[in-house]
Order: sequence, then structure tokens, then C-alpha cells
Amino acid sequence: MATQYGVQLAVHLISSHFGNLVAKVCDCLLRKGTLTLASVIRFTELPPQQVKSCILVLIQHNCVQAFAIQQEVGFGEAPRVVTQYMALFHNILHRMRFAKFLAIVSEELDKECEEILEGLLQHGRLTLEQILDRAKSNQSEGEPVVQDALRESFLKLVRAHFVERCPASEPFLAPPSEEETPARKRGAKSAKLVEEPQTIEQRAIAAAAPMDAKRFSVIINTGTDVDDSPNVTAGEKRKQDALELDKETGASCEKDVLWRANFEEFVRCLRHKACIANVKTRLDDGAAIVLSAMLEATRSEEKKVKTENSVPLSMDTIFEGVMKSEAGRSMTLERVRGSLIQLGCAPCVRGAAESYSVDLKNIIELAQNDEVESITLKRYGRDAYRIFRLLSKSCRLLETDKISDTTFVEKKDTAKILYQLWKDEYLQMEKLNLHGSRQSQFLLWKVTKDTLWGHVLNEMYHSALNLSLRVAYELEQEQEIIQLPREKRVGALGNRFERLRKVRILLESSLMKLDDAIMLFNDF
Amino acid sequence: MPFSDRRVPMPNINGRSEPSFYALFISTLRKAPCLSPSPNAAFRSISEFKPPRPLPSSCLSNSDHCSHYFPQVILILGMSRSQGLSLKRKRPDTNAASQPLLDAERVLYDLIRSKEDMGIWTRDMKRETNLPDNVVTKSLKALQVKKLIKEVVNIQSKGRKHYMAVEFEPSKELTGGAWYVEGNLDTEYIKILKETCVKVLSKLKVATAEGISESINKTGLCATECSTQQIAEILRALVLDNEIMEVRSSGSGEFSSIPIGAVCYRCTNKGGLGGGGPKIGAMASIPCGVCPRITQCTPDGIISPKSCAYYAKWLDF
Repeated sequence: MATQYGVQLAVHLISSHFGNLVAKVCDCLLRKGTLTLASVIRFTELPPQQVKSCILVLIQHNCVQAFAIQQEVGFGEAPRVVTQYMALFHNILHRMRFAKFLAIVSEELDKECEEILEGLLQHGRLTLEQILDRAKSNQSEGEPVVQDALRESFLKLVRAHFVERCPASEPFLAPPSEEETPARKRGAKSAKLVEEPQTIEQRAIAAAAPMDAKRFSVIINTGTDVDDSPNVTAGEKRKQDALELDKETGASCEKDVLWRANFEEFVRCLRHKACIANVKTRLDDGAAIVLSAMLEATRSEEKKVKTENSVPLSMDTIFEGVMKSEAGRSMTLERVRGSLIQLGCAPCVRGAAESYSVDLKNIIELAQNDEVESITLKRYGRDAYRIFRLLSKSCRLLETDKISDTTFVEKKDTAKILYQLWKDEYLQMEKLNLHGSRQSQFLLWKVTKDTLWGHVLNEMYHSALNLSLRVAYELEQEQEIIQLPREKRVGALGNRFERLRKVRILLESSLMKLDDAIMLFNDF
Repeated sequence: MPFSDRRVPMPNINGRSEPSFYALFISTLRKAPCLSPSPNAAFRSISEFKPPRPLPSSCLSNSDHCSHYFPQVILILGMSRSQGLSLKRKRPDTNAASQPLLDAERVLYDLIRSKEDMGIWTRDMKRETNLPDNVVTKSLKALQVKKLIKEVVNIQSKGRKHYMAVEFEPSKELTGGAWYVEGNLDTEYIKILKETCVKVLSKLKVATAEGISESINKTGLCATECSTQQIAEILRALVLDNEIMEVRSSGSGEFSSIPIGAVCYRCTNKGGLGGGGPKIGAMASIPCGVCPRITQCTPDGIISPKSCAYYAKWLDF
């Protein structure tokens, strides 16, 4: 969600990585939306060549997507095709968490894989040849580069879906035909199933994305097609056959294939980690181990990042997964069953077997509630915390006195707290006038999560921006100290350097922790 | 049992039962224009009453004349006509009749008494009686001196002067209920109860509200006995404090003694004895997360991360 401070944070990230000119172009696209080159030039008032270079940099680093669209012109004139550019807000924010992506690969794969990923994150997108060349240039003298080992590391990354083929650079979006049916309504009860028409940006992303069969497919020099796309359907078979035909020219085509980090997979991993951490804190270690085993077993089968329920698994598979982990080795089947009950998994009978699925959406919502309640407690105090939790749990309008009675807060204090929370946009308020023997006015209060979550997310972006700016400010203030050689950093200078080191650690670790919270509200 | 169906008791009068007297008496009450909304109370008062002398025969056929012979019946009926007898009356009505009251005092006193345990605000008195302010003030003082009325605190509006007849106790709407004392929340009592509930739940591991209430009352952990309803209210507040959580019994394991589906409670990992409360979130850990000036803060403004006093304090190692 690109809120006011979300945009400012994104622009700050681009500025610190690529400079002010690129940041200016990015700012224009984020604030004005999808634009043509001519419009960007007009709004930024920069020379055309500079604007082009900036857009190319942003495309290279997966921060902008181009697409071609047919533009209607005047009567009698043939329609013309124009290229438009859209900023990819989420991908820009991912630049804040490259260190987390590297840590995931380091933990799950190996150092070589981590180095390949580092190259892809640094350069945005690379061909396999460029990856190998980079590895060669990074190796110290005398240390031979084993090409096969590097290719193998690269394949590991693709098999794990951490690396993917880049999307098409400029897909053409055909104009929607008149026969296309509008959103189908299936009755009042299934309002959620109303299909909202896709925005042009969503259509562009979908059109640019490589086909599932090709996305994680690598053709290496031997001509062997390494296809790691799971569950290839019959419909995809024809596309795979087409790929086979390309094999003859495969080697030369594949040389030009660009690869990039697959942010979707990293976000999925981080989402799983967040769920496991929440369960560990809220329930116990056993439940966390069971959940971890379930998610690891089904990660490649999840269709989308924000999947509501984990893929169903049988008890045997779950138990097997638990036994594989070191921490789970001592768990008995009974204990695993108990943990599944704690996780709220009701067994679902499919044929002869029972299967279990965890409500991940619920875990994420609980984690979001915890975060907002924590802010309320720290900012407004314990009474406000109790009041906020009451309103958050009840999901309906409650009257002031009722709130006071339930939370054991004095009536006049309750009114003050409610007013303050409302002023800061944490609550919604409605007035109810009763006309009886005496006219009375009652104030009713409610937490509206959608609105509040958006407000909290904007504050988080603002705080992340502040942390980043403060780091930059501290480094700027101590520029001289940083440039001093180590032996000269003694006495007072040494103390200043030590202080700067602690300040950086505190600010940067706080930023990483805050980024976890941002992902909780934005990406999970 | 409806009033009309109740069998009329028949005391002896001059050694003879007089069913016809009571039948006449009941029929008189039934004809009364404004019978008490609580006829049982009226009936109780009447059944205790014994006529001072035998009824003249003329009275048996003419119900209107009965009232002359029963001045206390007039009083009961008179009271019925006003607001009806209150079941909540604590003491017998003896003082009012005996104290000589001025007209204004009488009017005000009758009005105040009619409000029973709800009492009445001075402004409402003035509106209903149309008496001048100074007369009302003087009369109220006099009634207080004569110990006929008292001032009570109304929790809904503590600033207002609220009066009530002395024989009534303020209702829950005025006092705020069991959790209020002298118009203020009894925070100390609530705190003690909360701590006691958490202690008991830590020992029991998982329990219903009834179970906890029973445990507290049995072991005498609290000086005053608490109802299950009161304990349930305290537990609800503890859930909101995140000290305990509400769960449903599965009927097995630790829930084996609790019926399936019953609402019960257990301590949270964060709560419980020495639990320390909820975990601090990411936003709450940084100055911006709790800053009262966040809306005025801008990258290059007067309030900015570079000039922020909270940051300076946070980074002061």
C-alpha cells in the first residue's frame, strides 16, 4: 500500500542507492502513477536522456515495469501503441531487506548460493554468463573457479525458487474486448467472490510474468532442460514441447536469459518465519516445531504468498517432518496431536485419511493485533490498552459507560481516553441521540481495522524513514572519525567512534525489527 | 400468584370469622383507581391489619363508606395512588406522618420519596414542583435537618446534588454497583481480586469462572465473599489485560474435569505470576512509535529525526 510516507520511504531508498536524479524520476512515477516517457520528462523537468537513463536503471533493478498499450486517437487516425512505465512500490521496499534474503539463503543453502544471490541483488538482473564472470572476478588469485560447482549452486537457487527468470521487458496489453464479461455477482452472501476488474497495472504484471513452466526452467550448455516447475499441467505440456523445439537454438537463447531474485519466495519464507515466531511466543515450542514442519513440507505447493490456510497434510507426514528436525526428535505422536489442537487444526477427512491444515491468516491477524496493542499500551497506558482490546475484540459499537464498566476504568477517564484514541484515528465514533422524556446523547465507539491498519502502516513507514535519516545524520556528523585510521581512534576520538558503532547497531537493528512489522501489515 | 387468585385469610373478629368483611375489603381494593404495581406488598400490609371494631352492617353493602373506618387503609390506598408501594422499602413508614412539615417541604418530601431508591436531582425537583429556587433550597435543608432525606452521590453525574428519602438505599444505577465506593471505583479491591484470580488460576492451570469463584470463597483468600458473576467480570478484565486467556474446553487432557465447550481460562505465557505483561512490539520499541508529535514530524522540519529530543535521549549512551 503506497501511503504518503510509504512513497517518501521508497524515494529515500532509491536516493541512497542510486542518487537524487533516479530518485526524482521514481518519485514522479510513485506520486503520479503510470506515465509515458514524455509525461515523466514534463513532470520532472529533466533532460530526456537523463530521464531515459534513470528509467533504465529502475527497470534493471526491478523497480519499474514497462508495458505497451494501444492508445485511442482522434477520429480517422489509426490507433498507436505507446509505452508506459509503472513503479513497483513493493519491489522498491524489498531493497530494505536484502540482508534478510541473503540470510535465508545462507541458512537453507550454502555460501556459494549466497554469493550468487548477492550479485543478483547488487545488479538487479544478470545472465548466467554474467553470474559466472562475476564469480570469477571475485575469486582471489590462485583460487580456481569451478564452473560446474557454480552452475550447481545456481541450479540450487532456481530449484528452491529463490531465483527466477525476469519478466518480459515490455509486454503488449491488448485492449479489453467488448465480449469480456463484467464482474459476476453471485448473490448477497458471496459478496467476497465478486471479481473486481483488474487494473491496468495488474494486467501489465500478469502479462510480463513468464509462464509457470518457464519461470524456473534452466537450459544449461549440455542442452538438458532442467525443469523445476512443480505440477506441470496438461495445458503447460504444449508449452514445454515448444521449449523442446527451441533446444537447438537453446544454448544461444538461454545465454541471453536474464535472472533475478524471486522476491515472492523470500516473502513467503519470511511469512512462515513470522507465523512460527508468533506461535512460539503465544503457545509453546512444541506447537512452533509442528507448524515449522508443516510449512517446510508444503512451501513449494503454496499457490500464493498470502495463502489463508496451509496445504493439508496427513498426520504421518506431519510426524515425519517433526522427527526430521533436531528439536522435534523427542516429540511423541500424542504431543504432536496436542500441538495440532493448540494450533486450532481440526482434522479434515479426505477419503480414508485425515488431514490437517493451519489457519495462517488467523496467526497473521493475531500478530498484527499484538503489534497495534503494544503501541496502544506504550503510547496511551494500561487503561487505554484494555479499552482498545475490548473494542478490537468486540468488532462492534460500544457505548462509553459499557466500556467503563467492562474495563474497570473510571467513567470520566474512559471518556478522555476514548476521545484521545479517536483524535489519533485509532477509533471510530458515532453519536446516538435518544428522544424520550429527556433528550440524551450517547457516544458509541468502534475499532475499524481496515482504516486503522492503513494508518498504522503509514506511521511505520514514517518511523522507518526517520530511523534511516537518523543513521545517515549520525554518519555524516562523525565523518571525520570514520575516515581516521584505527590507530588514531584513541581517547575521546575512540569514545566517539565507539558511540557511533553502538548507535548504528541500535538504529539498524531497530530498522530491521520495524521492517518485520511493516511486512506483517503490507506483505503477509 | 396473581393478586386476584390469592385466597383471603380469615382472622377471627370477636371470636367469629368474618369472611364477608374481607371479601368486601378486597373488592374495595380492586375498585381503587390506582392500585399498587406491587399488589402483593399491599396485600401483606392489609392482611396484617385488624379492624378496630366490628363493622356496622350498613358498611357491608356500601364499599365507599368502609374507608371512614379504616384510616390506615386510606393511607395505604393513598400511597397506592401515588407511585405504588415499593418492595424495596427498608423501614416502615412512621416518621413522615408525625413530623410537621411546611407545604413546600411536604411537596418536596413526597416527590423525593416517590423516587424511592433512584432519588432525584435538585433541578428536576424545581422543574416538577415549580417552586422557587430559594424555597427549594430552604426546604431541602430543613428536610435534611429533620433527617427525612439524605444527599447521595450519582455516579453518572457526580457534580449534581441528588437527594433520596432516608429509608431507601441508593440503587445500582446511582452507586455504580459493587465495584464503586462513595462514587469512585474501588481500584484497590479490584486489584486484590485480580491478583487473587491470577494466583488461583496459576495453581489450577485451567478453570471456569465458577471453579475459580468456588476456590476463592472456599479458601477464604478474599475477605468478602464474591459471586461467580463478580469473578467473571474480573476475569474478563484480566483477559483484556492479556494476563489470562479465554479458551473452550475440549473435554480431554487438562480439560477433563470441564464439560466440552465450556468457557474456561488459563494464564497466558506472558501473564501469570511475574509474567510481566504483553511483549513489546517493534513500533513500541522506538521513540517514533510512541511519539506524541509524530504527525508534526517531517524530514527537514522543526521537528525532525535529526533534531528530535527523544532520539537524542535514546541514543545517549
